[in-house]
Amino acid sequence: MRELVFAGFGGQGVLTAGLVVSQIALYKGFNATWMPAYGAAMRGGTANCTVKYGDGPVYNPGQQKPDLVLAMNTPSYKKFVNLVRPGGIILVNADMMTEEGNARSDIQEIKVHCNQLADQVKNPKGANIVMIGAITKILGDFTHDEGVEGMNDMFRKKGKSKFEALNVAAFQAGYEAV
Amino acid sequence: MGDMVKGNIAVAEAAVRAGIIVYAGYPITPSTEVMEYLSTRMEDLGREFIQAESELAAINMVMGVSACGKRVLTASSGPGISLKQEGISYMAQMEYPAVILNVVRWGNGLGSLDGSQTDYHRETRGGGNGDYRNIILCPSTVQESVDLMYEAFDIAEKYRCIVEVMTDSGLGQMMEPCEYPEFRELTKCDWGLDGTYKVKRGDFLGRNIPGESETYMKKVRAMRENEQRWEMYGEEDAEYIFVAYGMPGRVMSGLVRTMRQQGEKVGILRPITVWPFPEKAFEEMKEKNPNLKGFITVETNGEGQMVDDVALYAKKYGMGTLPVYALPYVCGVPKDDVVAADFAKVKAGEIKEVY
Amino acid sequence: MAKTKKIPNLCNYAMFCAGCGHGVLVRLICECLEELGQEKNVIAAIGVGCSCHLKSGINCDLVQSPHGRAAAVATGIRRAEPDKIVFTYQGDGDAYNIGLAETLNAAYRNENICVFTVNNGNFGMTGGQMAWTTMPGQKTATSPRGRNIELTGIPIKIPELVSYSFKPAYVARGAVTTPAEIKRLKGYIMNAFQAQMNKEGYSLVEVMSTCPTNWGMDPIVAQKRLIEDVIPYYELGEFKKRGE
Repeated sequence: MRELVFAGFGGQGVLTAGLVVSQIALYKGFNATWMPAYGAAMRGGTANCTVKYGDGPVYNPGQQKPDLVLAMNTPSYKKFVNLVRPGGIILVNADMMTEEGNARSDIQEIKVHCNQLADQVKNPKGANIVMIGAITKILGDFTHDEGVEGMNDMFRKKGKSKFEALNVAAFQAGYEAV
Repeated sequence: MGDMVKGNIAVAEAAVRAGIIVYAGYPITPSTEVMEYLSTRMEDLGREFIQAESELAAINMVMGVSACGKRVLTASSGPGISLKQEGISYMAQMEYPAVILNVVRWGNGLGSLDGSQTDYHRETRGGGNGDYRNIILCPSTVQESVDLMYEAFDIAEKYRCIVEVMTDSGLGQMMEPCEYPEFRELTKCDWGLDGTYKVKRGDFLGRNIPGESETYMKKVRAMRENEQRWEMYGEEDAEYIFVAYGMPGRVMSGLVRTMRQQGEKVGILRPITVWPFPEKAFEEMKEKNPNLKGFITVETNGEGQMVDDVALYAKKYGMGTLPVYALPYVCGVPKDDVVAADFAKVKAGEIKEVY
Repeated sequence: MAKTKKIPNLCNYAMFCAGCGHGVLVRLICECLEELGQEKNVIAAIGVGCSCHLKSGINCDLVQSPHGRAAAVATGIRRAEPDKIVFTYQGDGDAYNIGLAETLNAAYRNENICVFTVNNGNFGMTGGQMAWTTMPGQKTATSPRGRNIELTGIPIKIPELVSYSFKPAYVARGAVTTPAEIKRLKGYIMNAFQAQMNKEGYSLVEVMSTCPTNWGMDPIVAQKRLIEDVIPYYELGEFKKRGE
């Protein structure tokens, strides 16, 4: 069973990123859950969600010991770095990280300049998609093509297929960056 | 398998497919997505959507629809459901069926937006004046929310009673894949008012109150006998049976499996109806398992509410000497490692039984 | 030669006190429904209080609403049954005190229902307590020293409020005092039902009535008080005409 936490400011698309990954998991044939942080926290401008997927039923959809945390900014890094399970991964948006990082020696820290990469592929709002590409590569739970197709499938069903080429480019940039 | 769907949207769509012709409600977090979704969904289907001035008005609108024998839904959370109690009591008296969704949020008064099980006592005992019973369905996944919401209307009409689907913030806000059932045809119950005055009113001064009560209680007994639902696992050899519904129910269904792999003799009873409480499960446990050492409820409230019912039914089925513990986690989703650690404390005698 | 009118089939036995205006209103409602050919096509939502007596007073489908909520219940009936005549029958305490929110919000939405309220200046069924319609200085069971409007507000005028603030189809205030007024009131009720049948929207007809039992007056004295002391404050007439 995989556990991922997606965290950032409101507007950075972390809830969408989590949803896309959970849809890719479904596309692959896994069971999946997506759970937003709820309560007073969601009103304060920061957002996070927990995604779980795997072969069997997802019994506990809550935040426990994530295998991977996506930290899209410094506050998210500080809040979640200690939650990562030993041996797990924290994936950091290097463009929004104002501190040194490397807070723990027992986890792997991967930095990706996802805002810059998104700009380079002319999809400035696609920094979250860049990170989906990176996560796909890092975890290896889905192939590159499963990731792309699962993502496109979701956006097509939401009637947003006109951004497909831009999204694929952002995904590709993230996939190649790690 | 279907796509990822938010719990609140999924239950709303299930009600649409079950054939509601009216939705009436008032916005309140964390149930609001239900009415946001239905605002256009109902209109597109040529059905009625009413944003009422209050939850109080909304439940009375529900009563008007129900009196006509048609399917209707209202949804709310904690304090909003408090306001609906007047209408619920009236509807119980008039035997007007309806389905209510309570997306429970933590707390007294305004409370908070966190998912919780603080409304258990009110929902299982009935929050309005009188001697009535509502059937309370407690799903633990988005798919189960859809299935129970769809069926709730049949149950409500069968007994002409209120059926409440009780979820919480967590189940309402989370997303999970689910499949929707087929669309039902819109129906009108044959007893529904149609303007022709075909069902005559009796002499309301010459009421036979004991007789009225007995007629109602016959129905309550049938509901209690026929509508208990639950899921059990590991009960035949467990020393400790966890009892948990809704979000903690799904958590414990998983954790018990993990713990059993680690050699712990535990089982789970997951009530799907909390009224009627699944007492038949206690009867089964008593027959099957002579080695039970105790019951442990896992709940998201301050000190356990369902624990009372577990103790009562343990007693009723000859297990009254067994200790009954509560592991209350106030709100949110209980964490596996925390529950496992608390279970160790129960076994070590560090956590005392409630009953 | 005076003619005796046939009692409408909708009318059943009225359980109101001697001299009470409710019975006249029930009769008028029944006559109008019958004349409009709607006596087998009507569902009412009734209030709590003396309006409960409509259960025996009229042979039609009705829903006993919780106290004050008749307009909300009627809204539900309306949405479930778009082609039935739907009306509420309420006292002033029911519609204007405890049910002020439901009454005003139904009017605000211009819900296609008729609301009939009997304004007798007090809570009848509970024994003559002060209502928002009680006149200044009037003695009631909860204002035994006379209503103090400094503390309790001035007598409420819902037809005026509804017609001037919202966009209803039809609003009027009549009285069950003289034969001429009763005839005029019947016209108001007809208009209200016709507005609904034409799907014009919300209509409200308030009916000024005595409550001899709780006023502690002989019915004739009570009528005199109603005409001389109350109606000058509660002006009769149409506040919002159809199509205006």
